[in-house]
Amino acid sequence: MAEGFKTADPLEYHKSFLKENCRPDGRELDEFRTTTLNIGPISTAEGSALVKIGNTAVMCGIKAELAVPPSDSPDKGYIVPNVDMPPLCTSKVRSGPPEEQAQAASQFIADVIESSEMIRKEDLCIQKEKLCWVLYCDIMCLDYDGNLLDTCIVALLAALKNTLLPKVTINKDTDVPEVDLLEKSPISINKHPVGSSFAVFDNTILIVDPTGDEESLATAVMTLVMDEEGRLCSLHKPGGTALSGEKLQHCIGRATTRHKEIIKLLDKIINSMKK
Amino acid sequence: MAGLELLSDQGYRLDGRKVTELRKIQARMGIFGQADGSAYLEQGRTIALAVVYGPHDVRGSRAKVQGDRAVINCQYSMATFSTAERKRRPHGDRKSTEMTLHLKETFEAAILTHLYPRSQIDIYVKILQSDGGNYSACVNAATLAVIDASIPMRDYVCACTVGFVDDTPLADLNHVEESCGGTNLAMAMLPRSGQIALLQMDAKLHQDHLDSLMEAAMTACKGVSKVLDEVVRQHLQETVILTGD
Repeated sequence: MAEGFKTADPLEYHKSFLKENCRPDGRELDEFRTTTLNIGPISTAEGSALVKIGNTAVMCGIKAELAVPPSDSPDKGYIVPNVDMPPLCTSKVRSGPPEEQAQAASQFIADVIESSEMIRKEDLCIQKEKLCWVLYCDIMCLDYDGNLLDTCIVALLAALKNTLLPKVTINKDTDVPEVDLLEKSPISINKHPVGSSFAVFDNTILIVDPTGDEESLATAVMTLVMDEEGRLCSLHKPGGTALSGEKLQHCIGRATTRHKEIIKLLDKIINSMKK
Repeated sequence: MAGLELLSDQGYRLDGRKVTELRKIQARMGIFGQADGSAYLEQGRTIALAVVYGPHDVRGSRAKVQGDRAVINCQYSMATFSTAERKRRPHGDRKSTEMTLHLKETFEAAILTHLYPRSQIDIYVKILQSDGGNYSACVNAATLAVIDASIPMRDYVCACTVGFVDDTPLADLNHVEESCGGTNLAMAMLPRSGQIALLQMDAKLHQDHLDSLMEAAMTACKGVSKVLDEVVRQHLQETVILTGD
């Protein structure tokens, strides 16, 4: 009976739950879905992580290559993020929208890396003007059920924390880089940004961590990225209905709490791996 | 290839296995909520992910619709971080397209497509980590995913690769053994009836050795089918416990 109602009039179905201040999957309006983290599942990648927020699963793999630094900033390396939404992640027809979503997500992640200074590009430089690291961050969505951006950011952070780069020295005589695969060291992560996504229904009801159905019915979506010093790194609200200032403050508060939750989870997993 | 001994005098391979020993297979079904069927399979260090959607309406061109059976749409791709060197073109290149076609043909032989006329079944396979036997891992993972999607098949489809070194067939090759330039035979078969769904070999092989190689391949595939059967039964048991009674 409920399934029939859901298919026939999804908006009314969701609204009937929101009136009672809860959601179809039993969550409160400001409750995130269960987040699970698996660090280092792929050994061919320099760093990897698999993150699941509810049903949304995202895998991030980091590959490092050597390159010549750009001429306008000879002491910096490159970080190249790429978000991919292959056909296996969702059953919706592939005729435009998912591709755009992947491209937009890639640009968003690139902006977050830039603005939050997650990794200082100077750390990636091995020798000024001659050699630097290029970190290819390939983020792949394996199962899509809403809230792609948050999951991607956590996956990226976890994978970078897991990344080990081999020591590289340049032979003074031959000018050829020598890679020592036995001596590996982790990258220094400067800041730890964590995102929180919100969806708005009819200017009034604000929910946290929307599922795929909720996202398609919402009148506006918004993503906030905070770092550990309580600074706002990025705010992404692509159009949609207007949001009042005080609601925004409430969102920032929620995002700060979420940041602490994720960092605690990340530290717990990394510490348990060290044992 | 100087210095690389695929088979030692005592009969051990590079990773310590015996000649007929398969790599460890671990698999899980039903891992994704969105898909109709999904499976994750590890065969040694090769990791494959298979996702099945369907049967559903034919998407895209109406011309593909078959009046008497379902159309099977496959896509094989590799993650960019799956190989030691970053893969620049994960899908659309010739090797992926060839693999896609092979997968499609293999499953057309096994799935009872006549039960779903005018519809489409999508099988998407992704290799997350590549260490040889990509095609076999894909087929095995896809079999589990199709079973998880409750789509009827004639039999399990099990695949394995075999090689030939020093007059001995080696079962389940890893990346190093595959790239040594020797004989590689990939076989996908339906174990109960012993029927071969797909057979592919690229290398020189004397015809006298073909029988022993095929024998070894069939035995290896039957070994794989036992493991897959175990996984399916285990999954079924867990699901039954979860749904009550």
